[in-house]
Amino acid sequence: MSEPFEPKIVAFVCTYCTYAGADLAGTSRMKYAPNVRIVRLPCTGRISPMFILKALQKGADGVLVSGCHPGDCHFAQGNYHARRRWTVFRALLSFTGIPEERIKFSWISAAEGAKFAELINGITDEIRALGPFEQYQELQKVIETQSTY
Amino acid sequence: MAKIGVFVCHCGENIASMVDTGKLVTTISEHPGVAFSSEYKYFCSDPGQETVKKAIRENNLTGVVVAACSPRMHEQTFRKACAEAGLNPYMLELANIREQCSWVHTDKIQATDKAIEITRSLVEKVKRNNNLQPISVPVTRRAMVIGGGVAGIQAALDIASAGREVILVEREPSIGGHMAQLSETFPTLDCSQCILTPRMVEAVQHPNITVMTYSEVEEVDGYIGNFTVKVRQKARYVKMETCTGCGDCIQKCPVKKIPSDFECGLGNRTAIYTPFAQAVPNVPVIDRDRCTYFKNGKCKICQKTCQIDSIDFEQQDRMVSLEVGAIVVATGFQVQNTALYGEYGYGRYKDVITGLHFERLASASGPTAGKILRPSDGKEPETIVFLQCAGSRDAAKGVKYCSKICCMYTAKHAMLYAHKVHHGKTRIFYMDIRAAGKGYDEFTRRAIEEDQAGYIRGRVSKLYEENGKLIVRGVDTLLGKPVEVEADMVVLATAMIPQPDAKEFAKRIGIGYDEYGFYNEAHLKLRPVETATAGIYLAGACQSPKDIPDSVAQASAAAAKVLGLFSKEQLEREPVVASVSDSTCAGCWGCVIACPYNAIDRRDITDRNGNLIKRVASVNPGLCQGCGTCVSFCRSNSIDLAGFTEKQIFAEVMGL
Amino acid sequence: MGIQEQYRNEAAELLSSGAVKLVIGYGGGSTPDRRRPVFVRSAEEVSRLVLDSYCVANLSAYLISEGLLSDGKNVAVFLKPDGIRSVNILSAEAQVNPDQVVILGFNIEGEQTTPLPGRKAADYAPLMESLRSSGLSPELQREADRLEQMSAVERFDYWKEQFAKCIKCYACRQVCPMCYCRRCIVDVNQPQWINTSSHTLGNFEWNIVRAFHLAGRCVACGGCDRACPVNIPLRLINHRMSKETLDIFGHFPGESADQKPVLATFRQDDPETFIL
Repeated sequence: MSEPFEPKIVAFVCTYCTYAGADLAGTSRMKYAPNVRIVRLPCTGRISPMFILKALQKGADGVLVSGCHPGDCHFAQGNYHARRRWTVFRALLSFTGIPEERIKFSWISAAEGAKFAELINGITDEIRALGPFEQYQELQKVIETQSTY
Repeated sequence: MAKIGVFVCHCGENIASMVDTGKLVTTISEHPGVAFSSEYKYFCSDPGQETVKKAIRENNLTGVVVAACSPRMHEQTFRKACAEAGLNPYMLELANIREQCSWVHTDKIQATDKAIEITRSLVEKVKRNNNLQPISVPVTRRAMVIGGGVAGIQAALDIASAGREVILVEREPSIGGHMAQLSETFPTLDCSQCILTPRMVEAVQHPNITVMTYSEVEEVDGYIGNFTVKVRQKARYVKMETCTGCGDCIQKCPVKKIPSDFECGLGNRTAIYTPFAQAVPNVPVIDRDRCTYFKNGKCKICQKTCQIDSIDFEQQDRMVSLEVGAIVVATGFQVQNTALYGEYGYGRYKDVITGLHFERLASASGPTAGKILRPSDGKEPETIVFLQCAGSRDAAKGVKYCSKICCMYTAKHAMLYAHKVHHGKTRIFYMDIRAAGKGYDEFTRRAIEEDQAGYIRGRVSKLYEENGKLIVRGVDTLLGKPVEVEADMVVLATAMIPQPDAKEFAKRIGIGYDEYGFYNEAHLKLRPVETATAGIYLAGACQSPKDIPDSVAQASAAAAKVLGLFSKEQLEREPVVASVSDSTCAGCWGCVIACPYNAIDRRDITDRNGNLIKRVASVNPGLCQGCGTCVSFCRSNSIDLAGFTEKQIFAEVMGL
Repeated sequence: MGIQEQYRNEAAELLSSGAVKLVIGYGGGSTPDRRRPVFVRSAEEVSRLVLDSYCVANLSAYLISEGLLSDGKNVAVFLKPDGIRSVNILSAEAQVNPDQVVILGFNIEGEQTTPLPGRKAADYAPLMESLRSSGLSPELQREADRLEQMSAVERFDYWKEQFAKCIKCYACRQVCPMCYCRRCIVDVNQPQWINTSSHTLGNFEWNIVRAFHLAGRCVACGGCDRACPVNIPLRLINHRMSKETLDIFGHFPGESADQKPVLATFRQDDPETFIL
């Protein structure tokens, strides 16, 4: 392999905390790995497990889900609901062999630009070390080669 | 067929120096559905916005993606531009290629690739955006204030003075609340009733205020701008319309030895009574449980005494239904029952009293006419010990918080005592002196320096009676020595706690509360007077322990919120709200339970004869705040969130 | 008098007195060890009812038949403890009115079939408490343990192999009392969250989503497992979900009719060991 593997990471974030934190990293001109693609939602409460599966189908090697710290949710409770959902969904993914290391969850506030930048760098390094999520991506390749009808 | 316009902004060099904007434009122009694309130095500038508008008009664009800065920066700018060009403002997405791309990356090729992906995914999203209209909700411009203490009175006066109708509901026979019980108030030592009673009178006489005393809110229905409140007006057995408040009935009532709640049991009242002399309205009520007539069927002395025939034993509770647009909850607090503190002897020793008792003793209108006298024998105490934090900041007793007012009123009590009993001695056991507030620290210093308040830093472990004295044993942690004080009276600065029925009441009106029962604000810092339920606001100690200045300030803030809401006949809201697909909803009500705003109800779908076909969830757009928690819960995908629909997000992810 | 006789008499009594309009029970099947559901509407027919240790299906699934309970009349149904739990969940999720359901409860231990006292779901509250600790059968538990010990790659391959067999016949959905949605998410095509053609990726998605939708709701009746024509061990995956909601949130599905859905509620101090 001539070029090093660059992982693709999809982040689902709430607009009030983590999206604002990512903006802060920008306005503070912090530098982080360009591997992450952010999808903005109003609240972590809106982040359905389906999103994670679709990101994987689109070839994501890692997924980040992030929102406001407990107690700070703009919608008061959305992140508490999200946390339960993630707890269960994460166990499910793990049990079906989708490694926990590839699906990350975090709380990043609007003030934590530095945390956002560090986290993206950390996750990118970790997933680069894991390599592409070939097992899952192969399933998608099967569809693409078969879908002639 | 979608015709999307993509506008790539250079933001001077901010974007263009790291992202190859030319490549971005060329690549995206080939993407299916993109009908127009261009780049410019500053799209947010006036000429930039004109370019966008012109392109929308000339190309009949159905959607716009501006690849520029964060939507948190310029979403509103470009929404406005779209609207001016005749495009629905919600047919716009901002691709954040500045804060989340050019500013944070160092490799131009990678940054450009990322910018292309971000823009492409938002083109896919915007293709599925829908025309949205702001939601209009009619507003009944009449407010209800629940609780007639100082906070409720202030909120009612502020709203009424701005020209809006207010209904002030109080469950006691008189408005006034706890403040009416107080002697003098810190840090100015002006008499509480002297400053409060004019406000009470002003409220009851205000043409825009309807005061409903001896009344309780039973039920709240509806939503912001459109509440229906059911209020129970308890039978007073005295005609409000005719009673002149002469007080003859009270004078003649034969049942005289009922401990008065207002006097904290230090004084008595009759069976027909007003809680205190300056009560507003000055119309007595009959205490049904204590009245001889109601108990034995005989007496009616009050009726015989009344010269204008205002006693009516036949009166019944009355239910009234009221339409209001906003509700201010100002239901106040209670003083913690100190029975929890066996070690302090409350209840066992008559001369161990609470701060509120002391207020009544010090009050000129109180049972001792302002003389500090021991409840046990009516003698003047020579030494008084004050115990601060009797309950507060003590997790073991269930109150982890600081009650906030006790440091100040204890200093005040020491001063009042020093002013009334010149040779008297005070000893104050405290944990910290918390005197943050305008003039507060100066006030406690004055107590110490001018009125010889004797502060001892430490807790009391034991209190017992010996030879007519109360022996207080504690520790002085500054000296590291045990202390023993012989006192004639002990005053406990008991914790401020929520009303005993606070939680039950919160459930009834649909607002949240914390572990103690204090009401939750929508955001502790940024929305401190709003509840999570739109249209319901908080004032005073029902939210957290507060002193008078804080309660009044919050009441005025709540009034400002109400008046803001009432400034228009229609309430306009962002259309980012959830809606239910009736045909697929299975009616499991998970969304109803999950919704943080109680914005989802059950709705019956009936045939033309009124027979029930099915029941489905139904989102009230007046209450929905658009978090989308319900959408993620719904197993059958029967709820969706405008602006962030399943189709939009799916397309956005698949566009990456 | 054996349990079958006893319950036939009881069914006859319920029907002839008009206490119920229908008895849902078990009848003889296509082979000696198979039972099929029978629907008895008159006392004369009760001899069709069979009750023995082969009666394993969770008949509560028939309670959600469209319109069955909408006339307000009562229905009696033969249920094992798992079925009683299903009735509680269906009541909590407003799909059945528990007052309309007369439970002819029974338990199977080995070859023995014993009656359970109580006729309303609420009567079984003490039984629910004792069920909390019930787990998988020893052989399934061994399989679950084996899976847990695998590496993620091995586990993925295991399930890939399993899900590759799936023909998306949706028998698992059909047999499950919890699958009462009028439109299943797999049938949503705007957007098409789950690929419906039967390739492994779509099968993966379907089975993951179904397990997620059953989290905190599965009563481990094993219906999906038995119904699956290609023998995917669905019970393992559902058990893993139940274990999670029980261990982390103390949620035992179907404990009572007023239980709140585990994913529509929260506690501020829910554990969060994995959140960065």
